[in-house]
Amino acid sequence: METNSISRRNFLRVSGLAGTALCLGFYFPANAKNEELIAASAEGQSGFEFNAWMRIDTDGKVTLTDHRAEMGQGSYQSVPQIIAEELEVDLKDINVIFAIGDPDKYGSQITGGSSTIRGSYKKLLNLSATAREMLISAAANKWGVPASECYAQSGHVIHKPSGKKFNYGELVTDASKLSPPKDVKLKNISEYKLIRKPLNRLDTPMKTNGEAIFGLDKKLPGMLHAAVERSPRLRGKVKSFDDSAALKVPGVKKVFKIQMMVFNTTRDGVVVIANSTWAAMQGRKALRVEWDDSGFEHVNTADIYNAHEELLKKEEGISHKKQGDPDGALAKATRQIDVIYQTPYQSHAAMEPLNCAAYYQPDKIEIWGPIQAPDWVLNDISTKFKMPKDKVVVNMTFLGGGFGRKAFLDYTHEVVAISKEIGAPVQVVWSREDDIKQGPYRAGISYRGQGAIENGEISTLKFKMAGQNIDHWNGPARGKANGSTSEGFLKPYYDSIKNISFADVPYEMPLPNMWWRSVYASTNGFAYESFMNEMAVLAGQDQLDFRRKYLKDERCQRLIDKMEEVSGWKSRQKNQGYGVAITECFETTVGQIVKVSRNAEGKVKIDKVWAVMDCGWYVNPDIIRAQVEGSVVMALGAATIHEITFKNGLVEQNNFYDYLMPRMSDAPPVEVHIMENTADAGGVGEPGLPPFAPALTDAIYDLTGNRIRKLPFNMNAV
Amino acid sequence: MKKLIVIILIASITGLVTLSFRPETVKTDKYLVLPKDSVGSVKAFMSVYTVLKSARCMNCHPAGDSPLQGDDSHIHTMNVKRGADGKGLYSVRCSNCHQAENTAGLHMPPGNPKWGLPPANMRMVFQGRTPRQLALQLLDPKQNGGRTKAQLIEHMAHDDLVGWAWHPGDGRTLPPMSRPAFAAQVRLWIAKGAYAPSAKAK
Amino acid sequence: MINITVNGQHHEVDADPNMPLLWVIRDILGLTGTKYGCGAAQCGACTIHLNGEAVRSCVTKLNRAAGQRIVTIEGLSANNDHPLQLAWNEMNVPQCGYCQSGQIMSGAILLRENSNPSDQDIDDAMSGNICRCGTYQRIRAAIHKAAAMQTEGAKL
Repeated sequence: METNSISRRNFLRVSGLAGTALCLGFYFPANAKNEELIAASAEGQSGFEFNAWMRIDTDGKVTLTDHRAEMGQGSYQSVPQIIAEELEVDLKDINVIFAIGDPDKYGSQITGGSSTIRGSYKKLLNLSATAREMLISAAANKWGVPASECYAQSGHVIHKPSGKKFNYGELVTDASKLSPPKDVKLKNISEYKLIRKPLNRLDTPMKTNGEAIFGLDKKLPGMLHAAVERSPRLRGKVKSFDDSAALKVPGVKKVFKIQMMVFNTTRDGVVVIANSTWAAMQGRKALRVEWDDSGFEHVNTADIYNAHEELLKKEEGISHKKQGDPDGALAKATRQIDVIYQTPYQSHAAMEPLNCAAYYQPDKIEIWGPIQAPDWVLNDISTKFKMPKDKVVVNMTFLGGGFGRKAFLDYTHEVVAISKEIGAPVQVVWSREDDIKQGPYRAGISYRGQGAIENGEISTLKFKMAGQNIDHWNGPARGKANGSTSEGFLKPYYDSIKNISFADVPYEMPLPNMWWRSVYASTNGFAYESFMNEMAVLAGQDQLDFRRKYLKDERCQRLIDKMEEVSGWKSRQKNQGYGVAITECFETTVGQIVKVSRNAEGKVKIDKVWAVMDCGWYVNPDIIRAQVEGSVVMALGAATIHEITFKNGLVEQNNFYDYLMPRMSDAPPVEVHIMENTADAGGVGEPGLPPFAPALTDAIYDLTGNRIRKLPFNMNAV
Repeated sequence: MKKLIVIILIASITGLVTLSFRPETVKTDKYLVLPKDSVGSVKAFMSVYTVLKSARCMNCHPAGDSPLQGDDSHIHTMNVKRGADGKGLYSVRCSNCHQAENTAGLHMPPGNPKWGLPPANMRMVFQGRTPRQLALQLLDPKQNGGRTKAQLIEHMAHDDLVGWAWHPGDGRTLPPMSRPAFAAQVRLWIAKGAYAPSAKAK
Repeated sequence: MINITVNGQHHEVDADPNMPLLWVIRDILGLTGTKYGCGAAQCGACTIHLNGEAVRSCVTKLNRAAGQRIVTIEGLSANNDHPLQLAWNEMNVPQCGYCQSGQIMSGAILLRENSNPSDQDIDDAMSGNICRCGTYQRIRAAIHKAAAMQTEGAKL
C-alpha cells in the first residue's frame, strides 16, 4: 500500500498539551496541497500546541481525536478500529474525543458525502503504522538490538529472541524524540486482526444508559435557554411584536428580535430568553408577532410540480452529458416510452431537533452542539462576527442524527448572535415543529425519461430533470447544468448504450433546500432505475438479466450474481412480486431486491429486502450492515409515508403526527451482503438509500401491474 | 290523545361487570316512559346515531383492535392496540400519553381519567354498525356492558368519558348536537319504546 | 414544592406544576438521558417509567408525579446490565443513539409483562418509539435476545 512522507515538525506553536506523550498528526500548511504527517513530544513543552489525531501517554493509553462527527454512522468505532489495527493496541486502551473545528489541522471535517472513512483511511493507517515503528525503534534502542528482532502486539513491543517486552507507555518518552520513519509497511488485508471484523461499537454502552452527551444535553455554567419564534413564511420579516404576555411567564428574562443567515438570505425571529427550556417555550407561545411576508412568492406544491411538468415537456434544458444522437434515434424509433417521475420535498427530521449552545465573549466565541461540519462553522462564525479563527472554538457533541441538516450554518449563526446580545452562554432548542417547518429541505425533483428499444436492445436513453438546484443559494447557476444531474446512474451504462443524454431544466424557487442523505442520488436513482425497469419491460426481458447485459463492468457483474443468488430471484413463487434497482453514489454501488406480496387483508406488504453493497475496502461489516438497514427504513418513509408540501407559502406539516415515520411494525427485514474486494474504499452511510424506492415500486409492478412514478405513494392503496 | 306520563320502577339488574369498563353507579333505576311510538322512537335514535357515529364517539368504538384518530377517523398511528382491559398494551398504554385532562394545543393528546377503549370481552363496536345493528347492540346487556335501559341513559347523559366528546380539546370537531340535546334524544328513544330502526335505515 | 422520587432518590422540586416531567428531569435534575424529540407524545424519545408505566414525559406534567416513583434510563440498572442494555450492546443496536433511551425504557415494560414476546408483541409494544436511523430490525432482535437472557438468568 502507499505511504506518505513524514517529517518532524517541532516548530508548531501555541499551547495545549502537557506532560510526556507521543503525539502524531497531520499538518496542513496553509495553501499546501498535501498534508504532512508529523510526530512530536509534548514533554515539557507547555507552550507547544499540536492538535494531534493520536496521543500515546506514559500510561500506555491512546487518545484519539475523531475529526468527524458521530451522527450514527460509526466514526467513533471505525476510526479507532483502523488505528488500533496498525498501532497494535487493544481497542479498550483507546479513548476517543471529538476534534474541535480546525481545517488547518484536520483537513476537511464535513461529515457528508459518506466520506469519513473513504476520505481518511489511508492517512489513518499510515499514521498508526508510523507510531508503531517509532515505538519499536525506541525499544530496540533501549535493548541495543536490531529493530527487525522486535515486533509490536497488544500495546507492547516484544523482543522475539529473548521474549523481553516493554509496554508502550514505557517507550513514549524515547519514541517521541525520534524522527518518524519515511516508508512504513502497511498490513495486507489478510493480516488484519481488527479491520473487517464486526466489532462492537465503542459508543454503544454510553448510548444505552443515558451517558452519551448530545448537543441538547450540553450544560454550561450560567447557561440560559432560548426559544425562537421564526417567520412561518420562510422569508418573512418581523413587522412588530408584543412581548407583554411572554415576559409575564415565570422564568422568562428577555425578549428581542434576532436574525440569522440562511445562505444569502436573512431569517427573522423573536427570541425568548429564560432560565429553562420549558419557560422559554412557554414564553414563546405567549408572544404575539406580526410578520411582513410581502414580496415572498407564496408557493403551492401543486404549482411546483405543474411547472416542472411544463418545463420538461417544452424545454430541452442545459446539456449535462451526451453521447451519440439520442434525439435522432428517438425520432425514428418505433418502440419507445416517454414518462415523468416525481419525487417530493423531504425534511431531514433527525430525532434530535436542531439545537446549539454558544458563549460569545468580546475576545472569544465558543460553540457546543450537534455539528456536522465544525470547520465550516468555524469559518462562518469567524467571518460573520469578525473574530479571528484562533479565537473561535467549535466543539462537536454526539449528533442525534444529521442526514445533512446539521451541516447547515443557520442555527449556529443564530445562537452566537443571541449569546452576543445577552452576553451570556445560551442554548437554543428548536421545537420539532421548527425542525419540520423551517427547512431547508431536499428539493422535490421531476424527471422525464425517454427511451427506445431496437431489436430487443436499448438504443436510447434521454433524461431531463427539473427541480431546485442546491447550489442556487450561491447565486443562480446561469447557463450551467446542475452538476449532479446524472448522480446515481451507473457508469458502465455509458459503455454499453449508444445514445445517452442528461439535461437539467433550470427551475428557480425561493424555498431553502439542501442535501439530504444520499443527495441527488436519492431522487435521480428513483427516476433512472425505475426507467431501466420500464425499458426491461418494453424489451420483454427480466430486469436483472437486463442489467447484467448492460453493466459489463466486472464488479457490477459479480454484484448482480450475488443479488440473484441471495434473493432467490429466479425461484420466485406465484403471488410474489420482485423488484430490483442498482445505484452508485460516493464510489459505492448498491443493488437491492425487494419482495412483496399481499397480506390477508389484500394490502401490499414488504416481505424482505436484500441489499448487496460493493464499497471496496471497508472497516466494520456490522456497521455497514446497520447503515444499509437504516437507509432502507429512511427510504421507505420517503417513498411511502411522508413529504413536505407547501400551501400559500406555508409548510403544511408540523410534527410526527403529520410527517409520519416508519415504525417498528412497518420495518421490513433487510439482509445485507458486502462484496469482498480490495478496491479503494467507498462511502457507506448513504449509498444504501437510493435503490430502495425504485426496487420497491418495481416489485409492486411485478405483483400488481401498476407502475408507480410519483413518490410518495400509499402502500395501502396499491 | 292525551299523553300519559308514567313512571315505572324497573328492578335493578346486576350487570355484567367487566374488569375496568364497569357501568357507573346508577343513581336511579327510574326512567321516562311514554306511550309506545315506533316512529318517534326510531326518529330519536337516528339523532342519537349521528352522535355515536361522529369521530368523537366512534374513534374509541372501532371495529378492529386499534383506536381511531382525528376527524377522518384514521387508524391510530403507533400501532396502538386495545389490550384485554381496553387500556392498551405494554409500553403503549393509553394513559402513557393521554393524561387525566386534554393536553393543550393542536394535535396534542386528548385526555380523561378513564381514557380507553371498551375491553376486549365487551367491544361495543360502533364503527361499521348500521342504525339497526347499533340500536339492538346498545339495548342488549350482553353487548352493552350489562347496562339496563336506565343505566344506558345514565351513561349517555352523565358519564364523564362520554362527556369528553363535548370538550375534546383544540382543533377537534364536536358531535353534531349538544350533550343535553343528545341525552334528550336518548331518553326519547327509550321512553317511546326503544325501537330499533329497520334494516334499511342508514 | 412537589415531592418526587427519581431513580430511588427523593427530590423536592420547586417548579411550575404544569412543567412536563421531561424538562424537570433534564433541566432541573440534570438527568439528560431522557430526550426531547417531539413534545407531543409522538416519538417516545422521552419515555420514562412512572410507577412502572412507560409514560411520555414530554406531555406528563410534574403534578401527576407528585409523591410518585420515577425511573429514567439512568436508573434502569446499576451497571448498564439490564438484559436489554446487555442485548443492545451485543447486537450493536444504536446508531446515533438519540432515541435509544426511550426504546429501552419501552422494551423494559414489554419484558416485564411478557417474558417471551413474539414479533407481534414487539410490534405492539415498540411502535410508539420512532428511530430515524432505522434500527428497528436490531431492536427486535435485541428484545428477543434479552428475553432469552432474562429466562436464562431466572433459571440460575
